[in-house]
Amino acid sequence: MPFDPHFIARLIPALLDGAAVTVELAGLTMAICLVLGLLVALAHAARGPLGWIAGSYIQLVRNTPLLIQLYLVYFGFSMAGFGLSGFASGLLALCAQNGGYVAEIYRGGLQSISIRQFDAGRALGMRRWTLYTTVILPQVVARVIPPLTNQCIAIIKDTSQVAAIAVMEIMKITEVWVETSANTYDVFLGAALIYLALTSIAGLIGKLTERWLAFAQ
Amino acid sequence: MNELSPLIHSFWYLVRGAAMTVLMAASAVVPATIIGILLALLHVFGGRLTRSAILGYLFLIRGIPLLVLLTFVYYLMPLTGIDLPPFWGVVLVISLYYAAFISEAFRAGILALPQAQWDAARSLGMTRGLMLQIVILPQALRLAAPPYVSLCVSLVKATSLVSIVGLWELTMASREVVERTLAPFQIFIGAAAIYFCICYTLALYGRHLERRVLLGH
Amino acid sequence: MEGTLNDASSSAIEVPQSRQQRPMLEIAGLRKRFGAVEVLRDVSLAVNPGEVVVVIGPSGSGKTTLLRCINLLEEYESGTITIDGEPIGYRFDARAGRRLRMSERDVAAARARIGMVFQSYNLFPHMSVLQNIVAAPVRVRGIERRQAEARARELLAMVGLSDKAAEYPIRLSGGQQQRVAIARALAMDPKIMLFDEITSALDPELVGEVLAAMQQLASDGMTMVVVTHEMSFARDIADLMVFMDAGVIVEEGKPDQLLFAPRTERVRAFLTRYNDRYRI
Repeated sequence: MPFDPHFIARLIPALLDGAAVTVELAGLTMAICLVLGLLVALAHAARGPLGWIAGSYIQLVRNTPLLIQLYLVYFGFSMAGFGLSGFASGLLALCAQNGGYVAEIYRGGLQSISIRQFDAGRALGMRRWTLYTTVILPQVVARVIPPLTNQCIAIIKDTSQVAAIAVMEIMKITEVWVETSANTYDVFLGAALIYLALTSIAGLIGKLTERWLAFAQ
Repeated sequence: MNELSPLIHSFWYLVRGAAMTVLMAASAVVPATIIGILLALLHVFGGRLTRSAILGYLFLIRGIPLLVLLTFVYYLMPLTGIDLPPFWGVVLVISLYYAAFISEAFRAGILALPQAQWDAARSLGMTRGLMLQIVILPQALRLAAPPYVSLCVSLVKATSLVSIVGLWELTMASREVVERTLAPFQIFIGAAAIYFCICYTLALYGRHLERRVLLGH
Repeated sequence: MEGTLNDASSSAIEVPQSRQQRPMLEIAGLRKRFGAVEVLRDVSLAVNPGEVVVVIGPSGSGKTTLLRCINLLEEYESGTITIDGEPIGYRFDARAGRRLRMSERDVAAARARIGMVFQSYNLFPHMSVLQNIVAAPVRVRGIERRQAEARARELLAMVGLSDKAAEYPIRLSGGQQQRVAIARALAMDPKIMLFDEITSALDPELVGEVLAAMQQLASDGMTMVVVTHEMSFARDIADLMVFMDAGVIVEEGKPDQLLFAPRTERVRAFLTRYNDRYRI
């Protein structure tokens, strides 16, 4: 039963189609969250009512499951009249969740910079803008790359949950093929391998970015 | 107010679902923690073969979504003829999945201890077993407590995935209610609120532990 | 008052009654490399019972490594180390013609009779001062807890910290922590005490109290090997001074002779540089 080459020959293109959707979904989410997370982090740092809203948002998305958020967006919005497609709902929910996590990553990165860096820069007579762009920001960026890489990997894995709202990414295709064929092992093996490949590539890109940044300095 | 009535009528049903969620999470956390500590110790002290095996295990868990593993076991169980109730099947998968992350958190705790702690213990004539028992592990576990609690929160949220393979807990319960009442907004927000109560409480405890760790003992 | 020691407890330590003619510590032909670098090159040293040996030298000279080899915190490639006649770590097997590693249990037992104090992070932060001191006697040597606690309080009195028994290390100053570390090492009744630059990480005003504790120990007759930068203290306490550089013992001799009339150029250069910055 396992390792039937004809079956595998048909399986691979199907899984790759799913992988394309996964990559698109994860890529868009990551891109949006990098910006969204920064905005939320800045709002959170700003204190005042805006800070409180940002803080509550972060706590809310971190303490509720992604699946519930997915169902809420998909079924809730369609009931309200403006139904979103599975992909769009998935994108919205994924961005909402991970925006909160990315914001916390930025916060951690900024907090980890010793106060002496600020003092040293100011003692050299730097003005705020110069201080931030030439001393603080490069260090924050360097510190933030590893956790962001991990978050990207988490996002890739999270996309599997949009199978629950019928988006044809890897997990959903796996489900369909397992239901309609007897080669359970092959299908899951294929899915696992593709996910491993995607997450490994993401990890590699992260490491290379780290090294490139260190070199650039 | 009749907007909320579907939620109010089904609230008790959802709470029972939440009880199942907590039961599932608690059942998974115990083996995950025990296995996690063992894996961490093996990773730090084990021979090359042991460590390679553990690194391979960590690579697989880090790269494959939990949902894929859950679905795989769901389809696999009937084929192998092992007569395991579905509840314990998913608890097993979730435990093994989170054991990997927990082991990394504990390993980080062990490695964070200053070399002098090991030196001091050895120079007093302690054997490795005694040293681990009274010097290394008490400190390492305290250091790892905050990220550990964070992982517990993540585990609670992960139980929502078992609804996709047909097991009953809070997410499944809320889906059933939505199908009946066609009020996705209220019900899913209600479910989210219940999850929030559980997870936020855990998260607050984690922050309390973090402050205790920072303050020394 | 802080820093003073009880004269009444001048015999708080029992000097091990080994035969006076046998060296307490014998290091012979010690060699160690870190990768391609030889950090210890054929080092030999003998320390008699009750003697205080102070090792000085530039950083990277191998002094700390030498100390750590004595109680096998570091492995070494060849050479033997003997404590009070008993080999530690490796036994030379005449039949096999090479050295054999002793079992972990033997090594641990040997370490129990050697006391060591480190530069920093000595104490176990999750235990109180008293718990720190009694942990090893109770768990390693099997001494009854009440007896161990009584002894611990004696030692705390000797280093002038009787009132700190229930405190946690984080509440103590650096100097107080190091004094507790000394008490903790003494609680195991060691034959010899090793000190690895124990005042180097301290604020200057806290150094005195720790040196005073070491001075008391020396007067009570403990065999000690001390690595330090504190030259005037070294001169006061040492029976023998050893100068190490680049993994070898360059010169050894009585303190006044080594410090003021060194025979080798390297020692002279080191001391001149030192003297330019401080006074001996």
